[in-house]
Amino acid sequence: MRKRLLGFLLLSGLTIATAWAQTRTLSGVIKDASGKPIPGANVVIRGTTRGTTTDSQGRYTLSDVPANGRIQISNIGFLATEKTVSSGQTMLDISLTEDVSNLEEVVVTGLASSIKRSNAANAVSSVNADKLVGTTRPATLDNALAGKVVGANIVSNSGAPGGGVSVRLRGISSINLTTEPLYVVDGIIINNSQFNTGSGSRAFSGATTTSNVSSQDQSANRLADLNPADVENVEVLKGPSASAIYGTRANAGVIVITTKRGKSGKTKVNFGQDVGWAQALRFLGSSNWDNAKIDKFFEVYGISGYTPEDYKRLLAESNGRTWDYEKLAFGEKGMLRNTRLSISGGNERTKFFISGGLTDENGIMKRTGFNRNSLRANIDHKLSDRIDVSMSSSYINSSSSRGFLGNDNNGVSIGYNIAYIPNFIDITRRADGSYPTWEYTGQNPFEIIDRGDNLDRTNRFLQSGSATLYLMKKEKSTLKLLASGGVDFLLTENETYFPDDVEFQKQRANPGASRFTKNRSLYTYVQSFLTYNTSVNGLDLQSQVGALRNVQSLDLSWIQGEGLLAGQRNPLTAAVRTPDQFFQRSQDVAVDVSQEVNWKDRIIARAGVRFDRSSLNGDNTKWYAFPRANVAINLTRFDFFQSNIISQLKPRVAFGRTGGVPAFGNYFNSLGSVVYDGRLGAVAPTSVGLTSVGPETAQEIEGGIDIGFFNNRLSLEATYYDKTVFNLLNPFTLSPGTGVTSYRAFPVGNLQNRGIELALTANPVNKSNFNWTTTLQFWNNRSKITKLDIPEAYVGNGFGAFGRNRLRVGASPTAWYGTPIVNGQPTMYGDAQPKFQMSWYNSVRFLNNFDFSMLWHTSQGNYNSSLNLELKDEGGTSPDWGKDDDGDGIPNGADERLFGTPNNNTSYFIQNASAIRLREVALYYNIPKTAFGKLFGNTVQGIRLGVSAQNVLLFSKYFGYDTEASNFGNSATGFGVDLTPFPSSRRTFFHLSVDF
Amino acid sequence: MRHTYKSLFVGSALLLSVSSCNFFEVEKVDDPNNPTVESVLNNASAAQIAQLGVGIQNVMRNGFTTQYQISGAIGREVIQSASTDNRYFTEILGTQPLDPAGIFFPWYNSYSQTRRQAEIFLLSAEATSNLTVEQKAGVRGFARTVQAFASLNLLNMMGNTGIRTTFTDLNNPGDLLRPGPFSNYETGLAYVKSLVDDGASSLDKSGAAFAFPMTAGWTGFTTPTTFRRFNRALAARVAMYQKDWATMNTALSQSFLDLNGSMTTGPTFRYSTTAGDATNPLFQNRNTSGAPIVVQRNFISEAEAGDTRLTAKTSRRTNPRASGNIPASEFEVFMYANNTAPISIIRNEELILMAAEVAVQQNRLADAVTALDKVRVAAGLQPLATAKPTVVGNQARLIDEVLNQRRYSLFYEGHRWFDMRRYDRLAQIPKDLPTHNVFREFPKPDAEVQWDARYK
Repeated sequence: MRKRLLGFLLLSGLTIATAWAQTRTLSGVIKDASGKPIPGANVVIRGTTRGTTTDSQGRYTLSDVPANGRIQISNIGFLATEKTVSSGQTMLDISLTEDVSNLEEVVVTGLASSIKRSNAANAVSSVNADKLVGTTRPATLDNALAGKVVGANIVSNSGAPGGGVSVRLRGISSINLTTEPLYVVDGIIINNSQFNTGSGSRAFSGATTTSNVSSQDQSANRLADLNPADVENVEVLKGPSASAIYGTRANAGVIVITTKRGKSGKTKVNFGQDVGWAQALRFLGSSNWDNAKIDKFFEVYGISGYTPEDYKRLLAESNGRTWDYEKLAFGEKGMLRNTRLSISGGNERTKFFISGGLTDENGIMKRTGFNRNSLRANIDHKLSDRIDVSMSSSYINSSSSRGFLGNDNNGVSIGYNIAYIPNFIDITRRADGSYPTWEYTGQNPFEIIDRGDNLDRTNRFLQSGSATLYLMKKEKSTLKLLASGGVDFLLTENETYFPDDVEFQKQRANPGASRFTKNRSLYTYVQSFLTYNTSVNGLDLQSQVGALRNVQSLDLSWIQGEGLLAGQRNPLTAAVRTPDQFFQRSQDVAVDVSQEVNWKDRIIARAGVRFDRSSLNGDNTKWYAFPRANVAINLTRFDFFQSNIISQLKPRVAFGRTGGVPAFGNYFNSLGSVVYDGRLGAVAPTSVGLTSVGPETAQEIEGGIDIGFFNNRLSLEATYYDKTVFNLLNPFTLSPGTGVTSYRAFPVGNLQNRGIELALTANPVNKSNFNWTTTLQFWNNRSKITKLDIPEAYVGNGFGAFGRNRLRVGASPTAWYGTPIVNGQPTMYGDAQPKFQMSWYNSVRFLNNFDFSMLWHTSQGNYNSSLNLELKDEGGTSPDWGKDDDGDGIPNGADERLFGTPNNNTSYFIQNASAIRLREVALYYNIPKTAFGKLFGNTVQGIRLGVSAQNVLLFSKYFGYDTEASNFGNSATGFGVDLTPFPSSRRTFFHLSVDF
Repeated sequence: MRHTYKSLFVGSALLLSVSSCNFFEVEKVDDPNNPTVESVLNNASAAQIAQLGVGIQNVMRNGFTTQYQISGAIGREVIQSASTDNRYFTEILGTQPLDPAGIFFPWYNSYSQTRRQAEIFLLSAEATSNLTVEQKAGVRGFARTVQAFASLNLLNMMGNTGIRTTFTDLNNPGDLLRPGPFSNYETGLAYVKSLVDDGASSLDKSGAAFAFPMTAGWTGFTTPTTFRRFNRALAARVAMYQKDWATMNTALSQSFLDLNGSMTTGPTFRYSTTAGDATNPLFQNRNTSGAPIVVQRNFISEAEAGDTRLTAKTSRRTNPRASGNIPASEFEVFMYANNTAPISIIRNEELILMAAEVAVQQNRLADAVTALDKVRVAAGLQPLATAKPTVVGNQARLIDEVLNQRRYSLFYEGHRWFDMRRYDRLAQIPKDLPTHNVFREFPKPDAEVQWDARYK
């Protein structure tokens, strides 16, 4: 018997502990419920760092186990168990229960710490590889998260190949800045920009009249580069109470992505092949014509290029033939192909995961598609007992061809153009290769499909690494230094091109247009944390202090040529050459301290504060404090709690503050350049930066309860949150007499988001030949402006009377407004954000070798500003154009729903986009080893076959290719404007997966 | 125990080694894409001063175009026959009160901005060690003159609604939130006079040359001494609106007035098709159908026969242009041969007419007739003694004649409406339709009303 008095100087204070111990050796077998041994399970002596893992037979041996000590047994996929070793005991066999509600999963609590879910005080949603891409194969990670994260509104901007998805966690967190979450991959912040391509600019689709910046380029966000197949786990820190650890960039939440890593044991090789096709999910339809309709059509909507007589003549000439232009344009069966190869394994000291993936997807429109080739190597090495190092390396080459869709002023956008083409006019490509001119817009859409280019190519390196140094490893305490960091380097190049002899280009002063864009981004991130763990009087204490530095730089440039030499693409030889160059750089640093206290897993409390400074703030030296605190109480762990029914009862509450950095340049006062009399001149700006600009700050309090029944075969996670964003930055209009029109960014008000998140998980049937797991989720959110220091103002992009968002106290900043204007006030309509969402995930394993899963998702009460029907009405092609629903003798297409008719107002364009969707469905079959064992010797360990589909069914009355659409891309406000985007597709796959 | 302390020490040292001193520093990022205002406010280089000087000459062009168009419509010199927006020939012609939130205020922002931009030029020069005292005075003289030009135009449009005249420091960002109140027309004129006189006294101390290049439009006015003649011409305009005839007479004598000189002598705004420059915004092609600016019919019908100014400034349309139910105009404005033609700022013709006016007002009627005849003869008309003998020697009729000559000499150059207002003759302005009215001045723009209501 030894007696020892230990005094520890903690970073947070001084505590004293006393401990006695008597020891012996303990051994046994760890098994699952069916009695099968579990290899690789962790067996640890509670309150110490000493432990072991079970061997392939599930056996373990532990020496120096104190009398009456407790040992903890854990393994992924099973609920952790704690057993007391009675005096004299040397053998202990333990059986583990399956962890249906993922209580054992580890969730992030700090930049260098984590906690198991059963002890977490935040409702952190996590999605593991199986849920992410185990059912089917969404092309991008954000798309794979849709419907799976309670509290998230994940919406595709269009159906274009290669992504373009907006993720909004717990409402919107800004009105002008980004409201996309921060993405962290293997510990480093990565770039998720949507780069401008120029496809929406004047020389191309003309969606915007300016030649340079365009918010209507319909580009993808760069998360598309990450191969979802490499991802082990995604954790979603939805609000400041959880994301406060990321400080000044975490207002919109943080998505923490962890890629797969090797495990010690036999080397595993997995080969996967998916083959499938994409097909248009919906068509808008068209309608037939007769002479009466032509007369009526021209009466209400005279169009240029044709007279009623032209139409009548063409109708007669068509001899009853019609052309379905939507099917001709969007009717391709796009081939989808995914190939994966991964090799993983290792030993006690070194583990590795190497993978390669090839994705080749064709769109539902000719000459569109998405390609991604990725390589990854994740290596972990135990240098010594005290030093662990790990490295994650990835190279990605991705490219896409997205066509020209959405808004347009040049007749280039395919969907927009087709909306105007009557089905009796033949504009299909002629046998001689020519394209008949569609006189109305002056451009034949099929010529654009065949000859226009809107391409992007990305080469990207993601490189991160970490080193853990155990400075002290003792019986009851450890001190470790974790240093980590990495680099995200990417170069995205865009090529947008129309030949000089494309119809609409021929009419331009300088026919032929090409633009080559280069977007170079370099993000570097380093952090260093000291973590001290100790156990004192039954309290597990963790103290942490650290610092980090986050540097981002962007170099965006393009050169555009208008008026190209015949057949030439290089803009350098063009008649009009326009160059552009933009640099951006920023640095953030932070220091963080935190303290966690865990009383026997009964009460777990954590508090911390992070101080951030950023070069994006007006004062680069100022530290902004972002505190956080939370507590969770596991009532079932208390001795007084005795229940055979309730297996978990955990009330929890969490608080946190975060920031949202100002946009680059918000404090700049920059001189403009002019040329006068051939000389270069400089002039003072007419809109100015705010030299004192600071971050938008968000504060959230979240409370909830986690309840588990019947050994957690049924569990409910219920959360309520209240998140307020202070000092929303918005342009601030000044007295024009000062000579300055506005501050570009000024704190003008506050925004509140409140909501409820419920997740019910059950394992109703758990038989050896039938196992059914189901998860039902419900979540809602209400956004509201609670303070506004400026007059009511429109915010975000939009098309005027077709609906705009507006800042109004007491109302949602994403609600639509428009005509009629009553007493100078526009009328308010529905909200672009849903009232609530629900999802229902099911996974069934039956007949031993079959897996069936499906995901249903509904979004209710969300409204789009939709121009789809308006375009079709203006073209006379809406399916119900000629019907007369209100019986007033005026056909629908010419009635008051048509913009410009006397009784028309915005209500006709704010359309309910509620939908019920079968997002994912799949059936897999694991071929029994007995069936092929002999065939391949013993090299093949498993073969899995399957069939799956994504975006299978969409139930909605909404008139559009999809209820999810955003003409202006990812934006805090002004999303949900739907203007003939790239149509969504249903994707069907066959799968083969072989384990060696 | 000792081991624990040692570990902590080593750990902290390691943490700090990663987190070396610079680790916690965040650079002050200046705009990498543009020079900053701060860079010129803190010891600007000679090159920066030169560029600001070119810049201010550039922005001095802003605002007057829309002023000419809008005041030209109110003064019934022209009709803006816009095909897409009938407010250009209804609201502006008085069919309804001017909408403070409407489309007729672009000049308001432009002039206000030019005034501030000139102030920053001035502040920049004062805060540098790279200019001599004389050169600093030169910048001040030029900047104040530009401010006087912009402010006088702004004030004349606003009339007795007035303008904001006090700014503690136009550059201090905080002060942008505290602009002074609106002053009435009289106080506004006193403010403009203080600007133009400060400009002149600074120019007196400016030595032989400016520290910045003078662009081609200022040929003949490129030194402080010669530029001061332009300043005094402007001062004469200010005095004219103040009806301070003695001061006006003195200012004219120090200006580039030359009774025997060319009518067109004077500085001009220049235009080009060079990228970054602007083309002549008042140039219009003949016989366009989109939004031609046509001549109000009375300007043609009330002209004296043989007045060459009609053919110099207008052109007969191939098809007369009606605007709404306003009777068609047969003539449209055609004052500039092409889109790079220069536009006169102040020219000798105006100075001669000012000399005539001040002579009438000071009861030097013979001098007035001499001056008026210079303009008449240049326009192809007979001298007054021949053409209008009853006018000679009649002070009241000579005033009429001055205004009449100003109408034709300074057509569509932003004078007619103000001339009729300062002589209280707005009622004499011809109205095409009974529903029309002639505004006296502009109301406060909505943005200013909002500002004062919220933040005053």
